[in-house]
Amino acid sequence: MRRLAARRNNDLSFDDSNTSIKLENGSSASFSINGALSSDEQKLYQNINKTKLSFYDLPPQGEITLEEFEKWAIDRLKILQEIQSCISRNKQIKEIATIIKPQLQKLLPTTSATPDAFLERKKDYYSHYILRLCFCRTKELRESFVRSETLLFKIRFNMLTTTDQTKFVQSLNLPLLQFISDEEKAQLGPQLYQTASPILQFQLNLNDEQQRKAFFARERYIKLPFENVIELVGNRQVFIKDGFAYLAQFQQLNLLASEFSNNISESLIKTFQYIPRLNEDDRLLPILTHLSSGYAVTDFDQNDGQYGDNSDNEINAESVWSPDIMKHYPLSVKYLMEGLKRNHHLRYNGRQQLSLFLKGIGLSADESLKFFAKAFTEGGNMTMEKFNKEYRYNFRHNYGLEGNRINYKPWDCRTILSKPRPGRGDYHGCPFRDWSHEKLTSELQKMNMTPSQISSVLDSCTKGEYTTANTKVFEFTHDFNGSDPDINDQTLIAHPNLYFERSRQLEKKKKEVEAKIKGTM
Amino acid sequence: MSSTKNNGPSPADMEYYYRQLYPFTDIFHWLNHSNGEATKDMTHREFAMAFRSGAYKRYNSYNSIAEFKSQIEKANPDRFEIGAIYNKPPRERDSILKSEMRALEKELVFDIDMDDYDSYRTCCTGAMVCSKCWKFITMAMMIMNITLTQDFGFKDFIWVFSGRRGAHCWISDKRARQMNDLQRRNILDYVNVVRDRSNEKRLNLMRPYHPHLLRSLDLLKPYFANVILLEQDPWANDENAFKTLLTGLHDKNLVEACRKYWTENPYRSSSQKWTDIDTLAAKEMKNTKRHAEYILKLKECKEDIILQTLYPKLDIEVTKQTIHLLKAPFCIHPATGNVCVPIIKGFEPEQAPKLLQLQQEMTENNDNVKETSLQKFIDHFETFVNQMIEHNEIEPSKKREYDDLLK
Repeated sequence: MRRLAARRNNDLSFDDSNTSIKLENGSSASFSINGALSSDEQKLYQNINKTKLSFYDLPPQGEITLEEFEKWAIDRLKILQEIQSCISRNKQIKEIATIIKPQLQKLLPTTSATPDAFLERKKDYYSHYILRLCFCRTKELRESFVRSETLLFKIRFNMLTTTDQTKFVQSLNLPLLQFISDEEKAQLGPQLYQTASPILQFQLNLNDEQQRKAFFARERYIKLPFENVIELVGNRQVFIKDGFAYLAQFQQLNLLASEFSNNISESLIKTFQYIPRLNEDDRLLPILTHLSSGYAVTDFDQNDGQYGDNSDNEINAESVWSPDIMKHYPLSVKYLMEGLKRNHHLRYNGRQQLSLFLKGIGLSADESLKFFAKAFTEGGNMTMEKFNKEYRYNFRHNYGLEGNRINYKPWDCRTILSKPRPGRGDYHGCPFRDWSHEKLTSELQKMNMTPSQISSVLDSCTKGEYTTANTKVFEFTHDFNGSDPDINDQTLIAHPNLYFERSRQLEKKKKEVEAKIKGTM
Repeated sequence: MSSTKNNGPSPADMEYYYRQLYPFTDIFHWLNHSNGEATKDMTHREFAMAFRSGAYKRYNSYNSIAEFKSQIEKANPDRFEIGAIYNKPPRERDSILKSEMRALEKELVFDIDMDDYDSYRTCCTGAMVCSKCWKFITMAMMIMNITLTQDFGFKDFIWVFSGRRGAHCWISDKRARQMNDLQRRNILDYVNVVRDRSNEKRLNLMRPYHPHLLRSLDLLKPYFANVILLEQDPWANDENAFKTLLTGLHDKNLVEACRKYWTENPYRSSSQKWTDIDTLAAKEMKNTKRHAEYILKLKECKEDIILQTLYPKLDIEVTKQTIHLLKAPFCIHPATGNVCVPIIKGFEPEQAPKLLQLQQEMTENNDNVKETSLQKFIDHFETFVNQMIEHNEIEPSKKREYDDLLK
C-alpha cells in the first residue's frame, strides 16, 4: 500500500479552518497502523457518529492512501451523479430516494455497528471533502455539487429514525430555532392551520381532517426571518407575517437543508481560494481534474466479458437484425445498423462500437463473424476473400482471439463520447451530441414521442447531458407501471448495453406478469 | 419627424424636460438612501440610456447630482433606466475584469401590465386604456400593497405609472434591496398566482387556500360582480366564455351542458352565464350522490376563477434578477408623451401630465415648476423619499435586532 506520507514527507491534512488544506513539511506526523484509526480520529468520528449525519463542519483527520482517495471519491461521485441525473429528469425527492437507496447501501453505507462505523464515517467525510476539491472551480460545478449534496443530505435525514433526527438537530445547536409561545400559536391558529393542512394531507398523507387537526395541535412552531426558508416562501408552504415565517417543526428539514447548502456553498468558495496555495502537483491534481471533468461512471462495466444472458441462444447472426431484438437498441446502435445496411461497410470506429456492443448483448465470436461477413459482402462490392483478408482479424481481435488476446469490453457512453467525433460517412458516436436538433427531432417523432417529451430531451442535449437525454428517451418509450424496484430500475443509463438489457428485461417481466394474469383467469 | 406621427416628444422637447423639469435631486436622494453626501448606493449604481435610434447604452454611473443632471441632459436619451448597485462603479467596467463586477443590491421591483388582462378586458384593446380597465391595475396594486406590508413587513415602496398602461412598484426597504436572485424568485413565486396567461387552464389551487390567497380572494370578491360581470362582461362573447370561463370548471358534463345551452342561446351576458352555471350544475348534480362535495367543488372553481380574473398579473422577468433594469420614475413615455409619475390616491392614466402640456404650463407660469401639474407628483415622491431615508437611518438598531435573530 502506498501511503500518502510515505512518498514525500508531506502530510495531507485538512486543518481547522474547515476548508483549507495545509501541507506540513517535516516528518512530525505519527503514522498509524494500516486500516486502524488514531485516537484523535476515533474521537472525531465517534463524535460525529453519535448523530449518523453531519454538516461536515469539521474537517477529516488522519491519513488515507491514494487508492482510497480515488476510490472513495468515485463512490461518492457515482451517487451524486445519479442524483444529478434524477434532478434533471424532474424526479421528486421520494422517487430519487427509492432510486439511490440501493447504491447508497453499497457505496456509502452508514448502518454498520462500531467499529466499522468509524471507517464508514471516515469514508463519508473524506469523500465529501475530496469532491469539494473537485467541484469548487467554477460556479456551475459548485452549484451542481451543492444541489446534489443537499439532496443527499435530505434523503439521509429522512432515512433516520425520529429519535436520531431529534438527536441530530439538537447536536447542531442552531440558535435560530426559537419556538413560539403557545399564546402566539393560539393567536395565529387559523392561519397556521390553513397553511399546514394541505401539506399534511399531501406530504404526510394525513387524509382525515381529524388526524390533521390532532397533528397540528401537537406541532410546535418556529418563528424566523422569511429569508431563511425562502424556498418554502415560494411554494407558499409557510405562513408569513411582518417579515417572519412560521415554520412547523415537521418542515424543519427544509431549514436544515438550506443551512446545509449555505454552509457548503461558502466552504466551496473558500476551498476554491485555497487551491492555489495547495502545494500539490503530480499526485492529487490529476485525480481531481479527472474527477471533475465530466467523469461519467457506470456500474455496468463490472461484469466482465459476457454481459447479456444468451443461454437460450436468442442472439445470433440472424436475430440481431430482427425487429424483436432491434427494438431494444438505443438510438446510437440503431444508427450503426442503419449505416451498415446502407453501405455494406462501417469505418473503424463504427465497427468497434457496433461489434463490441453486439458482443455485449451475447453475440458469440462465430456468430459475429457470420453477421459481419454477410453484412459486408451482400452488397456485392466485397468478396468473401477480401473480407477474410482485411476484416476477419479485426472482429476476432475484439473477442480476444487474436494479438494480445485481450477480452475487450463494450464501449460505455463515456468511451463513445471520448472518441473522435463522426465525420461524413461515419456512423459511430452519440446521436444526442452529434446530431442536429432537426434530425434528432424527426427521429424521436418516429418513436412516437410527444413534442414536450422531445423538447425535454433536446434540453438535456443542449446542456451536454447526453446520458440523461438517452435515459429520458428510454423512460418516454418504456412504460413504468410496476413499483417493483427490480423491474422499475430508474438509474441513469450511461451504457448502450444497459439500455438494451433494461429494455429487454422490462419486456420479459411484462410478459411474465401478463402470463400470470392470464393464468389466473 | 416621425415623432409627430405618434404624438411623442421631439429631441428638443426632451432636452427641455431634462433641463427644466426632471427632478434629478429627488431621484438622486432616493437612490442614495440619504439626503447628504453621495454614497456607494448612488455612485456604484448602473444607469442605462435608451435612444430613439434604438441604441442602448449600459453601465453609466454618476458621482453627484450635478453630474447626473448634466450627463443625462447632454446625452438626451428618450428614457433612462435604473439597474443594480455594483461592487465597483459601473462606468469603470471596461477597465476591470468582468468577473469582478458583482451586482450587490437593487430595489425589489414588480411590473404589472394591462396586456396580461386582455382575456377579460373589453373596454379597450392594445395600447389603449380607460378608467374602466385601469381598475384592474388599481386592484392589483391594492392586493400587492397589503401583501408587501402585512406579509413581508415592507414599508418603503412606491408605485409609478409606466406611461401607458401599467405600473411599476419599487421597494426600497434595505431588506428588499439586499435580496439575492433566489430570494427574489421566491418572493415572486409567492405573489405570482396566475402563471398561465392564456387563462385557458383551470387554476386548481390547493385547498384550503394559503392565508395570503384567502385574504386576496376576500378583498377581490366584492369587485368581481361589478368589474367583471357587469362592466367588462368578457363572457358575452361565447367563444371567449368557452375558452376562459368553461375551462375553469371541474365537471366535464357540466362544461358540455353549458356549452350546449350557450350555443343554443348565444350572447347571454357574463352575469347570466355566471348564474347559468349554477342552474345547470343543479341538474348535473342529480347524477351524483355526493351533493355536498359537488357544491363545494363548484364553489372552489368559482373562487379560482375570481382570482384568475382579478388577482395581480405580474411580469416575472423584471422581478427575478437583481441586475434587471427598469425605467426610472418621471421619465417621459416615448410614444405617449406622458410623464411616468408616482401613482397617488385615485390616480387614473389621463391624470398623468403630458410633456407638451407641461411646457405650456411653464410658459404661462414664468418657468416655475411649482405651478405646474407635475408638482403634486414631485411632492408625493419627496414625502416618500424623506420617509424612506428616515427609516433607513433609524434602521441600524432595528437591524441589529434582526441580525441577532438571523445568527
